Amino acid sequence: MDTFINFFNAAVLAGAPLLFGTMGEILTEKSGNLNLGVEGMMFMGALSGLVSVFLLEMGLAIDLAPWLAVCVAIAFSFIAGALGALIYSVLVVTLRTQQNVTGLALTMFGIGVGNFLGEFFGRRSPVGFLTVSARAREGFRQLRIPLLSEIPIIGEMFFNYNVLVYLGILIAIVLAIFFKFTRVGLNLRAVGENPAAADAASIPVARYKYLATCIGGGICGIGGMYIIMVTTSGIWVHNAVQGFGWISVALVIFATWSPARAVFGSLLFGALTVTRFYLPLGIPMQIYDTLPYIATILVLIFTSIRPIKEHAAPAGLGLNYFREDR
Amino acid sequence: MVKVFISTVLLLLSTFLLTGCGENGSSGDRSDLTFDNVRLAFIHVGDVADRGYTYRQHAGTLAMVHALGINHDTQVLNFWNIAPGAAAVTAIEEAVDWGADMVFATSFGHGPMMHEAAQQFPDVRFMHATGNLAMDAGLPNFHTYFGNMSQARFISGVAAGLRTENNVLGFVAAHPNAEVITGLTAFYLGARSVNPDVTMYVQFMGVWNNPTLEGQIAQALIDRGADVLGQHADSPTTQTVAQANGVWSVGYNNCMRVEAPDAFLVAPMFAWEVYLTYAVRNLVEGNPIRTDVLYGWEEGMVVMTELNPNTVVPNTAQAMAEAEARIVGGFNPFTGPLYGRHISDMGAPVRQILAPGDVFFERMSAPSFAYIIEGITVID
Repeated sequence: MDTFINFFNAAVLAGAPLLFGTMGEILTEKSGNLNLGVEGMMFMGALSGLVSVFLLEMGLAIDLAPWLAVCVAIAFSFIAGALGALIYSVLVVTLRTQQNVTGLALTMFGIGVGNFLGEFFGRRSPVGFLTVSARAREGFRQLRIPLLSEIPIIGEMFFNYNVLVYLGILIAIVLAIFFKFTRVGLNLRAVGENPAAADAASIPVARYKYLATCIGGGICGIGGMYIIMVTTSGIWVHNAVQGFGWISVALVIFATWSPARAVFGSLLFGALTVTRFYLPLGIPMQIYDTLPYIATILVLIFTSIRPIKEHAAPAGLGLNYFREDR
Repeated sequence: MVKVFISTVLLLLSTFLLTGCGENGSSGDRSDLTFDNVRLAFIHVGDVADRGYTYRQHAGTLAMVHALGINHDTQVLNFWNIAPGAAAVTAIEEAVDWGADMVFATSFGHGPMMHEAAQQFPDVRFMHATGNLAMDAGLPNFHTYFGNMSQARFISGVAAGLRTENNVLGFVAAHPNAEVITGLTAFYLGARSVNPDVTMYVQFMGVWNNPTLEGQIAQALIDRGADVLGQHADSPTTQTVAQANGVWSVGYNNCMRVEAPDAFLVAPMFAWEVYLTYAVRNLVEGNPIRTDVLYGWEEGMVVMTELNPNTVVPNTAQAMAEAEARIVGGFNPFTGPLYGRHISDMGAPVRQILAPGDVFFERMSAPSFAYIIEGITVID
């Protein structure tokens, strides 16, 4: 039982950054924008989440309380991710560049900016590398929720995580309600499915695309910050994000554009990435490493065998909208 | 059509001009080499921000140029984050074009590219750290070198063996190859030399540097009951995970006491400047350089960080000094009896690898011991 609980905990922690990336990309893709720059935005979020706390502590000599450090990191990683998405939006929505190429460019840009500035600030840090104080790091430690975490097994499994995990679940719930039960959410889906029809219904298509893409990018940025603040314990490590953005893009398809399924999808992918550490089967590790991708391929096959409209990609995904085209 | 033709011709012409420039820059085997004009290029697999392997490599470069009076800004060209393969080939060619007299490569995977380049550019010296190809290549300008890390690993293992309370160690390992297995075995043997009951779990990553994976493996090892972690991976994540879980850790290639003040015990490190100084000095002075060089503890090529007094058990310093004295006295950690299985055939029954008193024979500087000995459990 202990092994299972440890495995479950590790799966949740491994899946959490994927959850942010996936939800950010779902929100983006619901507006019809296929932003392949998730990896780049995660790098930018990772960097600015860390640098913002670093600069407040080192530059301005402010002693941040743990909870305040968490808030600062969330806010700035969100802003950085959103800025990355803003570049994408200006290019794609206003200048109507090709979406795939723009997204790929954003990925390269984000990785470069992240690694360059990470080292830039690292060399200026008094300890020789970019990090934050132990006090600030405490905010990202696991949080034992009083009473609930005392429940045997359930408490260990569900109420024993860092604050960002709960934030991820909260965002998933909010997004699910937003898409399903609000008018704005419905409008956004209309923009993604058929922008011309949405335009005819006097929905401001460009504004929706901009906002959804930027907020989505911001959520991706928080995912990047998670990797730096939780996984590498608040130390900038070269290439820390390493592929999480790409798995998130795959997870969007796996989750068939549903925030609820994104939660299960990222938990499953997180579990698949840590399986070989907890359930060794004696097969080569390279096979374990392919499991998440095999799962994605299987889902792609199954979803295309029985196409359910509800599970399909937004019809306008990847296509730029020209009003004059009609 | 004419325009296309003209622009193609112009393009070709400019390419020729560029190559011409490059050839002007290359120096060849100069007889007028001095410490003021020798040019050195370094092909690094990572960058100094890893604060581990590449950080130490570069620290060696800086110590060497300081000792020899070489100007780092004008006489040294560093290439960072050069993965083995096409990127390494390009970097080596750029280094030669720049006029490098000596090109160093730091990762095992750079071997074939260095071998190729040594044949292609006979006037430039190619020095490959951790490599194993020069001995059989028979080229006058291709060299390999290494530090005998297993000696330092053995000594650092003593600190881990004394520290552990569960008698279970964990090791975050990069690739399942001879270099890594030699290191982790030496670490384990060091721990066992002071604590006969100790066992060790090992998990391989399949890459040199992946902080997320290192963190997940470290956590999994702790979940299995390990209370002292060792690492052969490039990032400090193992140390920070140990810190977060309230267990202990032995670092690699850098003091990680700042990152993990309550976990870090000690770390074995390379001091690459010992070899770099030897090689560059002999190049400039026109002396021969050995094809394959292994320097160890005695030469100062592998060293130890200071102990963290807040984490080690009281008699650690003394026990480590004893282990060090044994090493200096000629003791080889890989002395029989040793029982185990080869990593490529883990299904086979455990057999005797070394008879009592026998010492494992290493042909060259790159280690070849790839057995998982009794007491070590590989999780896969």
